[in-house]
Parts: sequence; structure tokens; C-alpha cells
Amino acid sequence: MATDNTNAGGFGEVSRVRGIAFEYLSLGASVIGLVALGVLLVYVTIDAFDLANASPEWLLTYFLTLVVPFLAFCLYSASDPEVTRRALSALGGGLVAVAALFTAIETFVAPIPRLSWQLAYLFVVAMPVTAYLTYIGSRGRAGGVGFGLVGRLVGGAAIGLAVGTLFLVFDSLVWFLAYTLGVVPAAALYAYGRRRSVNWAMTAAVPVGLVGLVAAVFLRGVIVTYPSDLIIYVWTLAIPVAIAGGLVVADRGSRLAGAATGGVPLAVAVAGGFLAGGFGVPGPTALIVLVTVGVPTAVYLHRVIDEGDGLVGLALPVLLVGGALVGALVVEAWGVPAPDPWLDASFVTEAPSRTAEDAGLYPAIVGSVIIIALVAVLSFVLGVGTSVFLEEYTPESGILGSLTRLIQVNIANLAAIPSVVYGLLGLGLFANLLGFGLGTAVTASLTLSLLILPITIISAQEAIRSVPDDLRRGSDAMGATRWQTTKNVVLPEAFPGILTGTILALGRAIGETAPLIMIGAATTVFSAPASLFSRFSAMPMQIYAWANFPQAEFRYGVVAAGVITLLIILIGMNGTAILLRNRAERGS
Amino acid sequence: MSNTETDTEANDSLITTDVETGSNERSMTTDATAVAARDLNVFYGDEQAIDGVSMEIPENRVTALIGPSGCGKSTFLRCVNRMNDMIEVCRVEGDVEFGGKNVYDSDVDPVALRRKIGMVFQKPNPFPKSIRDNVAYGLKIQGYDGDVDERVEESLKGAALWDEVKDQLGSSGLELSGGQQQRLCIARAIAPDPEVILMDEPTSALDPVAASKIEDLIDDLAEEYTVIIVTHNMQQAARISDRTAVFLTGGRLVEYDDTTKIFEDPEEQRVEDYITGKFG
Repeated sequence: MATDNTNAGGFGEVSRVRGIAFEYLSLGASVIGLVALGVLLVYVTIDAFDLANASPEWLLTYFLTLVVPFLAFCLYSASDPEVTRRALSALGGGLVAVAALFTAIETFVAPIPRLSWQLAYLFVVAMPVTAYLTYIGSRGRAGGVGFGLVGRLVGGAAIGLAVGTLFLVFDSLVWFLAYTLGVVPAAALYAYGRRRSVNWAMTAAVPVGLVGLVAAVFLRGVIVTYPSDLIIYVWTLAIPVAIAGGLVVADRGSRLAGAATGGVPLAVAVAGGFLAGGFGVPGPTALIVLVTVGVPTAVYLHRVIDEGDGLVGLALPVLLVGGALVGALVVEAWGVPAPDPWLDASFVTEAPSRTAEDAGLYPAIVGSVIIIALVAVLSFVLGVGTSVFLEEYTPESGILGSLTRLIQVNIANLAAIPSVVYGLLGLGLFANLLGFGLGTAVTASLTLSLLILPITIISAQEAIRSVPDDLRRGSDAMGATRWQTTKNVVLPEAFPGILTGTILALGRAIGETAPLIMIGAATTVFSAPASLFSRFSAMPMQIYAWANFPQAEFRYGVVAAGVITLLIILIGMNGTAILLRNRAERGS
Repeated sequence: MSNTETDTEANDSLITTDVETGSNERSMTTDATAVAARDLNVFYGDEQAIDGVSMEIPENRVTALIGPSGCGKSTFLRCVNRMNDMIEVCRVEGDVEFGGKNVYDSDVDPVALRRKIGMVFQKPNPFPKSIRDNVAYGLKIQGYDGDVDERVEESLKGAALWDEVKDQLGSSGLELSGGQQQRLCIARAIAPDPEVILMDEPTSALDPVAASKIEDLIDDLAEEYTVIIVTHNMQQAARISDRTAVFLTGGRLVEYDDTTKIFEDPEEQRVEDYITGKFG
């Protein structure tokens, strides 16, 4: 055909009808999907915040103070990825850090009874020694190879645990004495020795610290008057954290900036700690959260200001908080009747109730967070381990190769098994056979880990498989053992992909209801789980229970508020993981 | 030529007789053997990739392996550091001696062997790490306890890359150009101070300017290391190598002699045909 009319009408025409039809069909499919999701979200949001009953003036006020600045910011930052990145990490990081800290302190620290001396010995003596030895190993003297990252991880975790145990095992008064008599003089001696390079001072630091610790234990009964809890926390925790932050910044540049970085959050935290009682929040908790969040924020701020990149991005959190405050002030002054949102502060901080107005999600939120944290750790470790073994260590041919392929096919099949079946397995295996108990947090975590394990394994395998063979051969030819190649070349390169798969799988786990019903999780509990073996409820379970309540307020208002909370926590979790992944990608 | 070597017992005497016929830039009187193959056969499943090859490769010389595609030169190279072990269907018969020891003996640890033999691949394959970490990789996995930064600097100088990257040691090795990446791979290979460096067509993925830099570098490397290089480029073999081995189809070593002899007056008609481009 083309040859017929080359001279007459150029080169003729090629039909594109099918291609164009396909293009528009794809467009239609994606539009339908997105619009359906968007409509659902809008309905749920309207219900959760009771926007249907809001007066036009109220809506207008918040539209002007909150929505308009937000949209303007989006338009402004759309062209500058750096600004968007800063905004996201500031907003997401801040939200996630504050929420996680509060939850962690309330769930893990507060309810745990004092530990026994044997355990304390393990944590305070055995773990730091192990950590120290591992650290030495990571320097290449004792252990040689492979301890770099592992050593730092183990060492950091051990020291963290040891310090945490000090808080638990000694009451805060012993800790106060030990800190004042042991830790501070030892640290001061060490710092002096480092700066003036006086060796005896550095050597003396350790015995001085030990003597101080022992003296503290003996003096505990002798001394009668102590400062208040809050002052103890300021002295033993807030001040050192602030000094550490200040030193980091002073190291980078000016001393003035360093002093500000340490001092401002410290002042805010102390003020917050003393004022917190007025709002019904325990003072020490507020102090700890404010100082541990505030100091890193200040360090981060200093770096952003120093670099100057995407500084505007930091305006977003300010805009949102400021907008909400201004809106509230205007509404208050104007006297506009405000709607009564279902999703408010008391919804996320209080226990469920018979009446819709008092209903809260707090125990279920804590339950979900504990479960998901355990699931993340378990499925990541098991999934990465399995996939590394299947990809790097099993032969490709022969009988073993066939066996591997058989296992692969079956793992893929496991991913398709309905979650109810996993629930049954969890009921039989973990709850009954191993005796972890019906409806306990640990049974739920193990069951959900099994449920998402196939997805984690398959995605981690894909990520490991996509590491170019060139790199493996390059490492092998350098005389690396298989473990060294895996650890130094394959895993770092595959890490972002592995993380992506784990994030998707966790998103599925946090929303699962069927397996939780099977293992006997409670639909409603009235206090947050105190340990891994106590009964718990999870957000989807609670939402499911509310949806069956006879009162319309539950079915429309409270369920919607629960859905929004679940979504926000899910987005926060995924956002953090994605930030981590992007960081890993940029690092490589 | 290839057959005459199999029945000799004393390596040195044979090399000296060879040397007397050659006329090369490096003095060839004190040659010791670095790597020797004896009656080497390699199979991939049922297919024979190397057929009864015996050759002795002198120390501190550049030895080029040339021949048409699929003639077993790369396979031979991978036998020296036992990278063929990675290929599951590969089977090796015969001896490859390195440092007076058959590397295929059951008590030889292939990982330890590879630490003494550096390798550079056809496609530059720096790790997605910083330039410094790339060069220090071998030192790290071997638990080197000296001054790593000093060794990194020496190696980069040895690979003629130091001046170009000394200000960006912390940036990723993947940000370099192709030729720089290949020199980075050479620096990585020489950092643990191996005895032999194997190069599998190191310049075939590079532009001519980058390739000529690598060629100059190979010439310098032969001062300290034994270099065995596989190449498709006849001029390159003629320019940089002291000895040349010609493999022809079926994995047979057809002729192995001083480079000048091979390129000026080969014994075999087939070799002359191949070198002058009449086939292959």
C-alpha cells in the first residue's frame, strides 16, 4: 500500500484507531478508579467531621484560613521538588515522631512493673559489655569482617536497653542519685580528658562512674528529701539531650546557633512540663516528648537554614497549625455555631463507650500500633532471610534446584490463600498449641506475620533478583565469600525494593479483620493492652463492631471517624517507610 | 608450539628457550612461571569449551589471549581464579597451577585463591558505593589492618585515576564516565595487592580515547603484576602484550609464542589467516 501512492499523497497513512481507543479506555479506567476512591473519602470525611451540619460561615472561615493557604502552598511548591520533600519530611516526621513517642511511653514504659535484679544485671552489665566488644569487633580488631553495621546496631540497641532498664529497675530517685554522683562526674572527667588529652582523667572516668552508681544505691535510703519528679527529669534527661543537640550544631558552625538549638527546646519543654498538668497530661511525659522531639527538630531546622534548600517547605506545618488556630479564633470571636466533629482529641485519647458522643478509639489504636510494630519486625526478618536463602544460596539445577522451584511455586500459592484460613492456623497453632492465648497481641502479630510473609518474600526476591549479576561477579572475583557479597553488595542494592514490598504488605496487615476474628480478638476493650499477652482490640475490629451498632450515630459518625483515624495512621506509617526508602535510594 | 610444552618438566628451561627466539621490549631472561595450565579441558554440560590446553604464562609480563568468539579464551581466564565454579554446569579437568599449586586441588579454597588474583570485567562494574569504598572493598573483606586511605590513594594512583577523583572520593563510583569506571575497577582489583590480574576484554565497552588510557595503564601494571588479558582487538594485543596465545574454534590453543613472532611470522597458516582478518 505504501508503495502504491508514495508519489501522490506523501507516504500514505497508518491507522492509529486501536491505539487511540486503547489510550482512552485506559484513561477511563484510571479516572473511574480514582473518582470512586475520592468520592468515598469525601463522604467519610464529611461524616467524620460533621461537615454536613456546619454553618456556611464556619465553612467559609476555615476555607479561607486553612484550605486557601494550603492550596496556595501546593501551587507554589509544585515546581520545586526540594520544597515538597522538606514539607513532607517536616510534617510527616514531626507527626509520626510525636504520636509514636506518646504511644510508646504510655504503652511500654508506664505499665511495666519494676524488673528483677537478675534481669537488671543482664541489661546493665552484660549487654553494654557485649555492645562494647561488638563495637571493638566492628573496628576490625577482634572480629574482622562483617561487624560494621551489625555491630553498630547491636551496640546501639544494647546501650539503649541498658539506659532504659536503669529507669525501670531503679526508681527515679536512685537514678537521680546515680546520675548526679556517677554519670555526671564520669562524663565531665572524660570530656576534660579528651579535650586536654589527659589520659588519667579518661581512665579515671569509668571507676568514678561505678563508685557513683554504688554510692547512689546505698545513699537512697539515707537521703530523705528529693526534688519533684519533673525536676529530676529536667536534670537527668532534658539537659543532657539539649546539650547533645547543641554540641552537634556547635560542631557544624557557630556556638550561638548551638546554644539556641539546645536552649530553646529545653525552655519550651520545661515550660510544657510544668504547664502540662493543667491540660490533664502527665508532666514528665510531656517534658520527655517535647525535649526528645524538640531538640532533633531544632538540629534539623538549623541544617535546613544552613543549606538554604527548600526552606519554604518548612512553612507548611506552620501554615496548617496557624490556619487552624486563626480559624478557631475567628469562629470564636464571630460567634458562629461550630459543628461537633466526631473525630476530635477525645476520640483518639479515650476508651470506647456506650454513647456515641463519648466513644473513643484509644485502646484499639494502641493495640494496632503494637501489633503492626511486631509484624513489621517479624515479617521483615523472616521475609528477607527466606528470600536471601532462596535467591543466593540454593542451587538452580539438579534435584535441589527442582525442590527450590517447588518451594517458590508454593510460596506464590500461599499468597493467594484467604486470610480466614490464616486466622484458623493462628487459632490452632499459636493460641492453642503453643499456648500464647486467645486474642492476645502476640498471637495476632504472629498470625498476621504469617499472612503477609509470602508477599514479603516474593517482593524481596524480586528486589534481590534485580541486582545485576555483574556486581555479584565483581565481588566474588575480589575474593568475597558468599555472605560478604550478600551483605556488602546485594542487600544494600536490594534494600529499597525490599522495603517497598514490606510497606505494601504491612498496609494489608494493618487493615485485616478476618484473621483477628478467628483468633478471638476482642471487638471492644476498654483499656490499652498492658503487655504482649493481654487481650487487645485493633482499629479494624473496633470499626467493624461499631458498624453493627443499632444507633445511627455510631454507624455514620463514629465509624467514619474511625476510618479516617485508621487512614491517617496508615498514611503516616507508609509515609515514614517511603521516606526511609527514598533515603536508602539516594544513599546508594 | 602448544604441544611442545606439555612434555617439559622444568618450566624455567622451557621459557628460556622461548625467550631466545623472541625480541621484546622487556628483558626476558629472568622469567618465572606465574600460571601454568596442563592438559586443561573444560565442559559446559556436554559441550567442550577448552580442549587440552597447556601453556605457561610468565611472571610480570602481559600475556594476551586472542581468538574468535566462543573459542574459550574467557573460559580459560575464569579457570585461573576458579570463577567457573559459579557456573553450575561447568566441569573442569586437568591442572591449572598458580604459585606451584594446582588451584583445582581439593584443599584449595577458591575464595582465598581469588584474593591473590584480581579480575577486571568487560563491562565496568563498580559497586554502587563511593569511590573510596569501591577501592577499599577488597581491603575491607580481607580485614586489612593497615592505613586504608593510604592504600586507596596508592591504588588510585596505580590506576592513573587519582588526579581525576581525588576531590570526590566520597561521591558514587557510578557518577564517573565509562573509562574512569573501568580504571576504578582496576584500582579496586590492585588494592589488595594481588599477584596476577585477569582482564576480560577490558576496553571493548569503551571509546578509543578511554581504551588507549587503559592500554597505557596495562603497560605500567606489568611492572608489578602478571597481566593476562583477553582481547578481540588484534592491534591491542600487538601493542601491549609480550606473549600472545591464539585460540581457535573448539577451544584449542593453536599457537602460543612471543607477540612479535605471532604477528610477524606465525607458524600456523590458520593463525596468519585469523590475524590478517581472512576469517574469524
